Amino acid sequence: MAQLTKRGLIAAVVCSDNFMKLGTAQAKVFGVPDLPLLKIQHPLGGLGMDKVRERAAVALPQLIKVVREKQS
Amino acid sequence: MSSLADMLKKQGAMVECDDDPEAVFEFLCSKGWSDGLPVIPPTPERVERMLSYCDRDFDRPVVRIPPRFGAATPIRVAANAVMAGCKPEYFPLVLLALEALAEEPYNLYGTQATTHPCTPMLIFNGPVAAEVGINSGHNAMGNYFRANAVIGRAVRLALVNIGAAIPGIGDMATAGTPAKFTFCVAENEAASPWEPLHVELGFPRASSTVTVVAAESPHNVNDHESLTPEGILTMIAGTMAITGSNNAYYAGQPVMAFGPEHAATAASGGMSKAGVKQWLFDHATIPLSKFSKEGIERRFRRKLADQFANAPLDAPVHMWAKPEDLIVIVTGGAGKHSQYVPTFGNTRAVTRVLKRSDGELVKSIQELRRG
Repeated sequence: MAQLTKRGLIAAVVCSDNFMKLGTAQAKVFGVPDLPLLKIQHPLGGLGMDKVRERAAVALPQLIKVVREKQS
Repeated sequence: MSSLADMLKKQGAMVECDDDPEAVFEFLCSKGWSDGLPVIPPTPERVERMLSYCDRDFDRPVVRIPPRFGAATPIRVAANAVMAGCKPEYFPLVLLALEALAEEPYNLYGTQATTHPCTPMLIFNGPVAAEVGINSGHNAMGNYFRANAVIGRAVRLALVNIGAAIPGIGDMATAGTPAKFTFCVAENEAASPWEPLHVELGFPRASSTVTVVAAESPHNVNDHESLTPEGILTMIAGTMAITGSNNAYYAGQPVMAFGPEHAATAASGGMSKAGVKQWLFDHATIPLSKFSKEGIERRFRRKLADQFANAPLDAPVHMWAKPEDLIVIVTGGAGKHSQYVPTFGNTRAVTRVLKRSDGELVKSIQELRRG
């Protein structure tokens, strides 16, 4: 995602709340401190499809907001 | 003031605090520059002394340590080695281990940041291990022996202080492992009925190597009864066959560390190390039915579909991918115990040989002393 951002594409990372600190730190390490992190509830692994859809429903509006902001 | 102190001061890399040991420890803990245990204060004079066995440029990065990708210069690594309690002659082995860890197949980024409880297991072979006092006898994986304790600890401190493997930020281990304080052993080559690990891998017997493995804590195999190779290997295979191991799903390389007495029994019929690996691969299996219904459906049927899409429930699940992937060593003293060490999944063991800057193999650590 860092590479895509550096190439000028709109990119974002889905990140569960427990991993936000890691995501934020890694965005800085890879030179894209403003990389958008789409925050969802932890965990993502080991979920049934219904719970995965719930997480997607939380992430999607954040993604749309990122795209609109980057395009404006 | 030493020349190193002058250099560090110019770089703004010096901090000052009260030289009382408790005050130093409190200060370092407050900065997050510790593993929670007391450390030796890394003064410029001590760091300079540590570098007396370093034949590299002190300020040029040897490796970069993720997840921060911090530059592991000899100066920085030496500061961590001082903190850990290393003697200067241990220092080349700390650097060697870090170089091995940074090789791509080990997957240092993944092993540092994962939720899995893995940590570098350092396996030393060759004459230098004995020369510096790395224990391969009684309690080889335990406490008491300085070289084992502090070489492993220095590597861990470097991973935290240079690489930022900070729990909850850069090290996401769910519960971790006590092996994260140190996990450093030497192979008991004299007590092994087989060729030592470094010779098996193609290095000269007189060379000194480190093999790094992204290891879990060891699990004991107690067997006071078996008298035959088949008997002892049956007990070991039973201990290896566990449903919760990464090695059942991924391509890691677990370690079977035979105690010398178990090794002698296993080899008593002339079985080679390769034969032992094949036997254990064939027998350390679990029927698919022992995994959870969800595990079978979600992992085996889908992610491992090429093997298990239509496999019957009594199909054997092997505990690692290929017979030769198992690492077999002999370590420890007298007694009827051996150790099985599962690993992280997406990782390979890496072995590095100790060389001088001119490329020649090191026969004695004293060859690396400066001046």
